[in-house]
Amino acid sequence: MEYKLNLPVQKKELTPLQVGDIVYLNGEIVTGRDQVHKRIIDYKNQGKKIPERFYGLKGCGIYHCGPIIEEKNGNYQVISGGPTTSQRMDHLENEVVSLLGIRFIIGKGGMKNLKTKDLQVAYLSYTGGCGAIINQKIKKIKHVEWKDLGLCEAAWFLKVEEFGPLIVAQDVHGKSLY
Amino acid sequence: MQKKKDSLRKNIKKGLVKIIKDAVTRAPQEIIDRLNSIKNEESSEIAKKQLELILKNFQYGAENKIPVCQDTGVLNFFIELGAKFPFVTNFQDIIEDAIKEANETIPLRGNSVDPITGQNPENNLGINVPPIYLDIINDSNDLKVTVLAKGGGAENISKLFMLNPSNGFEEFQKKIVETLNEGGGMPCPPVILGIGLGGDASKCMCLAKKALLRPLNSRNPRTEVAEIERELIEKINDLQIGVMGLGGDVTCLDVHIEVAMRHPASYPVGLIVQCYSHRIASFKLNKEGSIAYGV
Repeated sequence: MEYKLNLPVQKKELTPLQVGDIVYLNGEIVTGRDQVHKRIIDYKNQGKKIPERFYGLKGCGIYHCGPIIEEKNGNYQVISGGPTTSQRMDHLENEVVSLLGIRFIIGKGGMKNLKTKDLQVAYLSYTGGCGAIINQKIKKIKHVEWKDLGLCEAAWFLKVEEFGPLIVAQDVHGKSLY
Repeated sequence: MQKKKDSLRKNIKKGLVKIIKDAVTRAPQEIIDRLNSIKNEESSEIAKKQLELILKNFQYGAENKIPVCQDTGVLNFFIELGAKFPFVTNFQDIIEDAIKEANETIPLRGNSVDPITGQNPENNLGINVPPIYLDIINDSNDLKVTVLAKGGGAENISKLFMLNPSNGFEEFQKKIVETLNEGGGMPCPPVILGIGLGGDASKCMCLAKKALLRPLNSRNPRTEVAEIERELIEKINDLQIGVMGLGGDVTCLDVHIEVAMRHPASYPVGLIVQCYSHRIASFKLNKEGSIAYGV
């Protein structure tokens, strides 16, 4: 099956998704890889304030991606932005998903310990290495947080249209293609 | 003489910038052809769909001259310097100049991070980068430089095994297959493997890295080594990891093994894993300064 979903989604919208289905997303997602995950958890543990913008991602997706960014006249643009290996974020992801109310994790390679069923979060695989062509689906960088982490590690809030094809690789019924 | 050297230096930099750009913005034709034929034979629909996307992405990257993958990798430079080439240098400064230009004009992602502070200067430069491998070639008048853009996902699956000589030869294939099995979709399969058998810890890793420069489908000239290469390709494909770990017939595009004599007490095996997006390009410069690409 093929689905086009508008973010944010309600929990019940994930129920029909089965492993092997194709999904295209519209709305807002945020890039987050090693350092964003680490900082979210560090801030939480230290009682530091996590920027409000992250809480606006309830029902949306985190994209494991370290894009190539170009700055022109103060505007940022994604030149190439495919997925990075998700497994590196595995030990932190369940906590981040619970904290922010995330419904989709987008990445490559899958996550061994992601509690898809308990947390009602689906893992969507975007084909690794396909960073150039996805730039057509990233319509705008709406915001950036934590740029001090470096351009590749920062949290880029992206407006996406028909973002995909994404393959449901771990669904909310606990099934996995890995 | 100085004028000649200046002109050669200028051509080397020009060649470097061009091969960096070629490497990161388009896949070699042999990879495209191979993925195309796999796509036609693949029994998994998910693998097929992804191969279609991969080929479209290669085309899109080449047409728009933008990096096919956002991870433009660690740029590894392999220099074959003819002993009769009239200009000798350590090439570090020319390569750094070329990277500076490539950072701006392509652009590249900043992939050099200080392991102590975590700071990224966003310029792919800094302490001990980029890796440069320099070989002097006897009786040659030419300079050949190859660049390999080595992404992090595949590199993370690379491994050094220090096996027991009593069963190293019998064990190493199993170790490699296990490593690829654990790696699953993480290294962006279908992968290419470079393997160094023997030598010592650093020599086998270096041989493994250099083995990746061999053309696709080339076999080691020693027949028993060529046979192991074929066996390993088959065993890894039997894992059915498939494109990106989502299942399929092809997990491994090729295995290249290089061999070195080992210490009696050691059986070192180096494994370097490369993703399907095998971004590699080279140029050859002759002593008159004329340059040829993709050789």
